Amino acid sequence: MKKWLLVPVLLLVLFFLYRQYHAETPVIRIGVLHSLTGTMAASESPLVDAVRLAVEEANLSGGINGLRIEMIVSDCRSDANYCAGRAEKLIAEDKVQALFGCWTSVCRKAVKTVVEKHHLLLFYPVQYEGLEESPDIIYTGAVPNQQIIPMIAWALQQRGRHVYLIGSDYIFPHIANQIIKKQLFALDGQVVGERYVHLGSRNLDQVVKEIARVRPDFVFNTLNGDSNRYFFRALQKAGIRASDIPVFSSSIAEAELASMEPGLMTGQYAAWNYFESVQSDENRAFIEHFHNRFGMQRVLDDPMEAFYISVHLWVNAMREANANIIPVVKAALEKQTMNAPEGIVAVDADTHHLWKTVRIGRIRADGQFDIVWQSGRSIGPSPYPFFIPRAERDKIEGEER
Amino acid sequence: MKIFTRLLLLFFLVAVLPLALLGYFNLRQNEDTLRADALGRVGQLADKKVMQVRGFLAERQRNVRFLAESPTVIRGIGMLAETYPQRSGAAYFGEDGLMRQYFDRYVEESGVFYNIFLITPQGEIIFTQRHESDFATNLLTGPWRNTQLAEVFRDARMTLEPVFSHQDTYAPSHDTALFIAAPVMMNGKFKGVLAAQLSNAMFFKVASGAIGLGQSGKAVFGRKDGEYIVMATPLRYRLDGREVLRLKLDESRDIPMYGAIFGQSGENVKKDYSGVRVVSAWRYLPELDWAMVVKMDEDEVFASISRQRTVTLELVLTLLFLSGLLAYYFARQISAPLENLARTADEMAKGSLDQRVDESAFGELGLFAKAFNRMAVNLQGIYGTLEDRIEERTQELNSSNAKLHEEIAARKEAEDEIRSLAFYDVLTGLPNRRLLMDRLSLALSLSQRSRQFGAVLFLDMDNFKTLNDTLGHDYGDLMLVEVAERIKSCVRDADTVARFGGDEFVVLLEDVDVKSTLALEKIALIAEKIREILARPYLLSGREHHSSPSIGVSLYLGHEESVDALLKHSDMAMYEAKAAGKNTVRFFDPAMQKTVEAHAVLERDLRFAITRGQLRLYYQAQMDSNLKVSGAEALVRWMHPVRGMIFPGEFISLAEESTLIFEIGEWVLDTACGQLAIWQSHAMTRKLSVSVNVSAQQFKRADFVEMVSAVLRTHQVEASRLKLELTESVVLSDVVEVADVVAKMHALKVLGVKLSLDDFGTGYSSLSYLKQLPLDQIKIDQSFVRHIATDSNDAVMVKTIIDMAQNFDLDVIAEGVETDDQLAFLKQHGCNVYQGYLFGKPMPFDEFEKLLEQS
Repeated sequence: MKKWLLVPVLLLVLFFLYRQYHAETPVIRIGVLHSLTGTMAASESPLVDAVRLAVEEANLSGGINGLRIEMIVSDCRSDANYCAGRAEKLIAEDKVQALFGCWTSVCRKAVKTVVEKHHLLLFYPVQYEGLEESPDIIYTGAVPNQQIIPMIAWALQQRGRHVYLIGSDYIFPHIANQIIKKQLFALDGQVVGERYVHLGSRNLDQVVKEIARVRPDFVFNTLNGDSNRYFFRALQKAGIRASDIPVFSSSIAEAELASMEPGLMTGQYAAWNYFESVQSDENRAFIEHFHNRFGMQRVLDDPMEAFYISVHLWVNAMREANANIIPVVKAALEKQTMNAPEGIVAVDADTHHLWKTVRIGRIRADGQFDIVWQSGRSIGPSPYPFFIPRAERDKIEGEER
Repeated sequence: MKIFTRLLLLFFLVAVLPLALLGYFNLRQNEDTLRADALGRVGQLADKKVMQVRGFLAERQRNVRFLAESPTVIRGIGMLAETYPQRSGAAYFGEDGLMRQYFDRYVEESGVFYNIFLITPQGEIIFTQRHESDFATNLLTGPWRNTQLAEVFRDARMTLEPVFSHQDTYAPSHDTALFIAAPVMMNGKFKGVLAAQLSNAMFFKVASGAIGLGQSGKAVFGRKDGEYIVMATPLRYRLDGREVLRLKLDESRDIPMYGAIFGQSGENVKKDYSGVRVVSAWRYLPELDWAMVVKMDEDEVFASISRQRTVTLELVLTLLFLSGLLAYYFARQISAPLENLARTADEMAKGSLDQRVDESAFGELGLFAKAFNRMAVNLQGIYGTLEDRIEERTQELNSSNAKLHEEIAARKEAEDEIRSLAFYDVLTGLPNRRLLMDRLSLALSLSQRSRQFGAVLFLDMDNFKTLNDTLGHDYGDLMLVEVAERIKSCVRDADTVARFGGDEFVVLLEDVDVKSTLALEKIALIAEKIREILARPYLLSGREHHSSPSIGVSLYLGHEESVDALLKHSDMAMYEAKAAGKNTVRFFDPAMQKTVEAHAVLERDLRFAITRGQLRLYYQAQMDSNLKVSGAEALVRWMHPVRGMIFPGEFISLAEESTLIFEIGEWVLDTACGQLAIWQSHAMTRKLSVSVNVSAQQFKRADFVEMVSAVLRTHQVEASRLKLELTESVVLSDVVEVADVVAKMHALKVLGVKLSLDDFGTGYSSLSYLKQLPLDQIKIDQSFVRHIATDSNDAVMVKTIIDMAQNFDLDVIAEGVETDDQLAFLKQHGCNVYQGYLFGKPMPFDEFEKLLEQS
């Protein structure tokens, strides 16, 4: 090799090395808003892992057209106003392209105002009471017609018309029960009792005594958090078995079951779009990836799956839009369909909710669900129930405020 | 590589290749751009199509919602439900008419709906716009409970929301159908479901309408149905929208539809279900659970590219041709003078030094040619002188070479002389003592391995000393040469005849036989032959001289004895021969000596055995499965006047050494056939057969078949009653050609004679070989039969033989049957003919006939 050749070759190598290591690789940031401390921490913190898994998968498959996704997790401290502040900061300072988060409706409504102000994007992954639409929010959880309404219809057909309503004393149970009462009225059901206890209440013996007295055909349960444990313990103590008076719950999933004593809820029912026991290749892969990443003892449930698909829907839309222009991304989002662990999901362009498969499950002794009914295919979202006239809907919304 | 090709190649590389590459990459880039462009366009069209279809469906859903909420319907469904039980009555009829009129603008006038249904919460269809067979049936229990109409009814009831059905065949309409249903609420109460069946014509006009994409562009729809993809294709040829195609799901992974079936969307170039490569985009429609593919044949997309490709190719080829011509011309200009130079140089190298090259080439090549010619002139001068010098040298070399050849020949002769002196006797040319000792020790080693007997013969000429003394050494030498020649004529080339010293000779016979008795016989024979030939008169320089040898013989087998001991023993035996009166052969071992003598006597006696009528035939009975005599084996016995009865084992091998075996064999066959003739003349013994043993020597004779034929003719017996028993050593003998054996056996079969394979199991008969032989029977050797009841190996062996015989369709006979156990075993395993002491020993014919009478 002649010496004079060495110099340019060396220079070329140095140039490439410099490009390799000094070129700034731009990233795309997303913000994750969840309560990692406070009363909601137990429910919300697993969701962050679902987002993390989806982000890592997306980065592994090339990121967004070559850009890496970076997630910034912000602790909401179970405080809606604080959460809105964090959202503001993520948008203004960290320049995130999308927000993923919130659990309670209060939190969502607080963050909604911030997101709508900036015309950004929020992915909300939890089933809720509906009666809301926003151009800047994609709701990836179920609305009543995709969860509680079919569950009640099924229970009416299977068990009978006398229903006892029990719930925690906050927005969701009240509105859900308003809707359910309308449904019961429509379908000739009858409410034989309705009780609300404050969030976190442990004293449910009175309620159970009443249930034992009125003997409904089934109980519709919108209790949230720890109260569930005490409610079911009280039922057990009173000798009311699932086969006598089954309880249909709206907020009990695999994660909650994992934290309770085994067997306490065996035979009771819940409705979700996703159960860990769904049999499909996509779900098997999802469970395997999650277990490999976060450990075999971890369980998956509906909100986690909804969050996981939120990220993938956003990534697919970003890749398709091929530009960080929010309206273009939103337009792409409105066209998204996906083969998710729960089955095929599709973004409904009109409502910004998802078409989802509805499932009713009976709790097994191992904390998983036997699926006893599922819709033949994805059911379209209807945040404003068709069967409730507009005037009455407004009334319900009014009560909410 | 030649300069010419190199130049051409260089030209090609520099001029044409970059051009072609440029063209190629340009084409590729155009292709990529076009593909991306087409994919983008197809994608956009797919989105547009999806929006069209979804928009259409949303519009229809709005229609249904509106109808379900309209006071007319809410009131009507209540009235119809009330009057429905008497639906032939006027009340129902009136309501029905009102509803029909109300719905008419959706069905008849605008044609958006094909049919409209009102269904009670219990699933009863109480109203339809068209009275098809679904009217007045129940959707939960009736015949149409599994249709998509029932499905939308149930979904609407379950969710209290407007819902869509699948697009699927719907029997009552004899067509495919798509339903939209919505619950009908009255004052908050669920009163039933209104369902509308979309007009297919209108729906497919939207779904399949022109997509504005070239000639081949089209939109295709499909859905998942169990393990199948069902194409609900408004294909161009099937505008009625009937399903035309079902594809197996797991065989369709590569078609564009597959991803969309599972809710995915995308664009790519793929092969569609008919195998055509298409530029395609696929989308999922949640409302219908439908997959949609918008596609366009790749060929059409790339039509312009393919035109461009042809033009580029033509251009490149033309350029290639033109520049090739140019390159050829220039290359020729350089390579032709060079080739000329090379050719001339080559001819000069071969000797034509007067060759010159053309100096007219251009530039440096011309200078080169001139210089070359100058060099050639100089070379020619030098070469002339050189040639003379070489001529001289060559002559010198040739003469010295011839001398050298002579010297080498002389030396070789001398060496041969020395060698033969060392190992060979100068007088007779035989191996001398030293070489003999070498060979002897080698022979012992070989014998050790082969287990063949050999022998050392020690010879001494009687009265040789007298000859030497009286006539002189010259005569003695002449005689020794003659003796050496005579001995050599008696032995095989491989045997060693050595001069041991003076008038002593030693003969080494190797590899005589593995059996000691046979070896002894053969050796005795050779020794006798040598003795006889050496005892003949000698004619030495015109004088006749008489002499004889004394021969001492010693047998060896392996290293049982040392070389020295062996020589010593044969020497001792030789002295004994001398002591016994000279002209004699003596064995060192006295027992051997005796055997040899007895043998000689027996052989002499055997010569007269036939003529003196000393041979007899004995018969041993052969029994069939009913234990009736079915025949006999004829066995020869020699009634020796002195030694009494002698069994064939003792004299047949002796007879085989000479031609006596033929006479004995013929006698046996003749006598047996004579007996057979007698039996055939009596009714009782007519069916009897006679088995006769045939020896290998006998069978080998060319005229054996004729001999058998002659005997049969003489006695006029039925040939099929004569059975010839051949041993394995006969049919497998290496002295008889296989082809000859088979030919003879076939010839015997033609005569009608039966053939039996004797002593079966003791040899090494290969099955494939046996299969070729035209045998009728095999005889299980008695050595197996003896132990069948006690030795499991023998039992298995016998079973195997019987099985095999049955497979080859052969009879089996067992000989040596002595006990009832043996008989039972044989019978049980399918052997049906027996021979042995259990039924009788071999006996003279008169006794045998008595036996026949008894049975």
